[in-house]
Amino acid sequence: MAFLTPLFFVGLAAIAIPVLVHLVQREKKRVVEFPSLMFVRRIPYQSVRRRRIRHWALLLLRAAAIALIVAAFARPFFRQGAVAAAVGGGAREVVILLDRSASMGYGDHWARAQDAARTVVRGLGPDDRATLVLFARNAEENMRATADRTRLEAAIGAAKVGSGATRYGPALKLADSILSRSPIKRREAILISDFQRSGWSGSEEVRFPDTTTVSTVSVASTGVANLSVPSVTFARASFSGQERITVTAGLSNKGDSPASNVPVTLTIDGHEIQTERVTVAPHASGSVSFTQFTLTGANVRGAIRAGTDPLPADNNFHFVLAPSQPVSLVVVDNGDRGDSSLFLAKALGIGSTPAFQVDVTSASRLTPASFDKRAVVVFNNTSFPPAGGGNGLKRYLENGGGLLVVTGDHTTWPQGEAQLLPGRLGATVDRTSGRSGSLGYLDYSHPVFEVFKAPRSGDFSAAHVFRYRTLQTEPTDRILARFDDGAIAAAERKVGAGRAIVWTSTLDDSWTDIAVKPVFLPLVHQLVRYLAHYEPTTSWFTVGQVLDLTARAKGRADRGDRIVITPAGERLTHAGSGEGNEGLIELEEQGIYEVRPAGTPAARPEAIAVNLDPAESDLTAIDPRELVAAVTGHATPVEVQQQAPPQEMTREESERRQALWWYLLLGGLLLLAAETVISNRLSKTERFL
Amino acid sequence: MQSHAIPGARFVDPKVLARVGNLELLARNVVEGFINGLHRAPFFGASIDFAEHRGYVAGDDIRRVDWRLYARTDRYYVKQYEADTNTNVSVLLDVSRSMKFFSRGIAKLDYACFVGACLAYLAQRQRDRVGLITFDNDIVSHVPPSAKHFNVVLQNMDRAKAERAGNLAIPLHKMAEHFRRRGILVLLSDFYEEPDTILEAIKPLSFLGNDLIVFHVLDPAELDFGYEDASSFEDLETGEQIPVVPESLVKEYRAMIQAHIAALTTRFSEHRIDYTVLNTAEPLDRALFSYLSSRERLMRVR
Repeated sequence: MAFLTPLFFVGLAAIAIPVLVHLVQREKKRVVEFPSLMFVRRIPYQSVRRRRIRHWALLLLRAAAIALIVAAFARPFFRQGAVAAAVGGGAREVVILLDRSASMGYGDHWARAQDAARTVVRGLGPDDRATLVLFARNAEENMRATADRTRLEAAIGAAKVGSGATRYGPALKLADSILSRSPIKRREAILISDFQRSGWSGSEEVRFPDTTTVSTVSVASTGVANLSVPSVTFARASFSGQERITVTAGLSNKGDSPASNVPVTLTIDGHEIQTERVTVAPHASGSVSFTQFTLTGANVRGAIRAGTDPLPADNNFHFVLAPSQPVSLVVVDNGDRGDSSLFLAKALGIGSTPAFQVDVTSASRLTPASFDKRAVVVFNNTSFPPAGGGNGLKRYLENGGGLLVVTGDHTTWPQGEAQLLPGRLGATVDRTSGRSGSLGYLDYSHPVFEVFKAPRSGDFSAAHVFRYRTLQTEPTDRILARFDDGAIAAAERKVGAGRAIVWTSTLDDSWTDIAVKPVFLPLVHQLVRYLAHYEPTTSWFTVGQVLDLTARAKGRADRGDRIVITPAGERLTHAGSGEGNEGLIELEEQGIYEVRPAGTPAARPEAIAVNLDPAESDLTAIDPRELVAAVTGHATPVEVQQQAPPQEMTREESERRQALWWYLLLGGLLLLAAETVISNRLSKTERFL
Repeated sequence: MQSHAIPGARFVDPKVLARVGNLELLARNVVEGFINGLHRAPFFGASIDFAEHRGYVAGDDIRRVDWRLYARTDRYYVKQYEADTNTNVSVLLDVSRSMKFFSRGIAKLDYACFVGACLAYLAQRQRDRVGLITFDNDIVSHVPPSAKHFNVVLQNMDRAKAERAGNLAIPLHKMAEHFRRRGILVLLSDFYEEPDTILEAIKPLSFLGNDLIVFHVLDPAELDFGYEDASSFEDLETGEQIPVVPESLVKEYRAMIQAHIAALTTRFSEHRIDYTVLNTAEPLDRALFSYLSSRERLMRVR
């Protein structure tokens, strides 16, 4: 046995410290500030006893701990490999984690990563086994544990860069799981990646046991140049009954040098519309707005292409445009006052996502046909309209319609239609005498009020409520809001596929002043959006998102099987039943997915644009040692595997021969822990100052 | 650090106001003011609350004659209504050195400033005039009550520093001479004096009919004396140091502080003074909410 750093033995002189401490130990002198000793002064206290050396065991414990720690720092090691071999010799279980995220497409990163993986495979001993895990956002066992190097190398050669984002957590967890199942004692995980910082949050909760060695091979480059298109925004305007769109593309330069005079091209349905040139400073963002174009129909495919650089995937951005659909609703009032629905109509007249198409009519003029093609019907302080009777309203709701009942002194509800209203309406409560009422409770978990959840996102307590109708709900109804006295302000009932909400006060200036408060407009919009089942249209998805084809097909006549054609041209068939995972498709590739009903080859397919996760464009690398330290609990030196010749003693072997210092350090720390416990107990039994 | 346009605005915590913002700080006594407010005035006025009938005398406005009563009794009576008014709300803030103590989180002085600022905010919102007096063994700063002084009050709270030893009697005696008009006085202190001395010092404040609200601000370490190590304890007020073995006196200490609080509770309630112990470990909104709501519940009208 020898020592790597025998100079550390000078530290043995520190043993003198506990001896001196034991010899010259004095009372503790710590001053605690306290507001007043008025009460303490009245209590007699125990005085000080000086102590001499009396705890020999404690002294020896402290000296031994120091000696062990000093010996650990001196790094003892075995010249012979016998002990090391006894600890972990023999065959190895190796897991090769190969990063195939989109960022590996940068320059020659992927080729270098494949070479590194091949080098690891060639370095395997005859009894060693290796598993190839390809990972991006998720990890998959590409080649199960095998000693067949040819198959492993073939699998590495066949692997391709994907479009997924980098996540180290799932890959490391999978490696841990594979290694923990292995009967072989020597276990090793080798991570080959560009070590994007965005792939490691630090909270992945991956921890390898001490018996596993984690090593890394980094293919990251310095001085990267990368321009990306992380997002696109659309400004819509109506002109002569047609919708005109202005596309603005955001550009982000994550490189260290400026992207100068880069051509940015907008393509619509395969035709180049316009090209603009732009310069973006290093580590800065910019944007390009293109001239307006007229949207001719649904499923218009667009793309932005911004120059070329070593990572071309993020220079393209795809999107699909469809004309915006206004939410159609009818407001039914009593018709006795011309302006009784003024506030509602004005509030709903504002808005573009979605736009609202509002018709106001009186209850007497309402016909059963008025419900047709309406997303929402609002009964605004009106008697029950005759057109709603005879199951007309019930049918409308069961088919997915939305009903908002705003109560007031005119509101009546027939007994026969009671199942459509969330609760039974009662008498009017007058709060005009004394303090007026206010909204005291809101169910922020409900979609209507969710947007008001964050602080300063709408002050409902500012609205005064002078009158409201009492409401007696059923246990199955959901209460959305209450007044300060506990009475129900809003409640919801699901009727078939439809939704009905009752608001127990008015939405004008007669019973409450909420109509002139800032929260009124977002509240009304939220109510109508929710009742109309409004879902904002998505122009693009991000790689990794899961698409529910069954949900998208709802409301359409063709609900059968669907053919999905991926951007790479692969055809997938999804059953339209929507049972289990059927109908769910994980968007794994960048580009345009096409979906059409099975058996209709001539039909124009629905297009779904998928783009890279913007985080993939940020190639800032994490120090591999930081990642290793996080997953192993100690900072293991990182070595590039391919540089070590397979026959020579590896760094791990060398480490194992020096592993004794760990045990010495652990022993020293254990002695210190024991010393802490003993000295604490001793200090409790002795009253001293 | 968060920056505010007005120094001291940090004391008006929106989180706290969100909880107590709907409550009102109403004077328990009848107070005098100039403009309409929420409090009962000693005079009859023009509110909607009917008070009583009075015989008609020449000069009364005949519109106030109760003609129904006339029809029944054949005599003229006029209806009188309660008058509502606004009042002065003065925050009396102890800035003696012991108030700078904290064992975790927030110092007692800061906690007291939060309470004072929130109550001043409530008062200002209900159109009361707000003022501030900080004191230790003498009056340190004085902001006279005014409808425009809310910002000045906050600025003074921000500047308040616990630097000198405290003594309740002298500054409170000066204040008692100073207050000429009935109003609400909010006293925030840690009351490290004998209960009788404290009451003698405070009583004059209520002589004029002021509504006195007393908050006893204490740190959790003062209540439970949760120290473990034997140490020298230094009195923040006097600088005196005493060696203390906490284990041996913790029980006696707790009994003494509880007896002190109990004595103060009894004495203050005997003199109809609102007394509340505030533990700085307790969330401020809960403490204020429970106090204000209980005050609202127990509010007695004239």
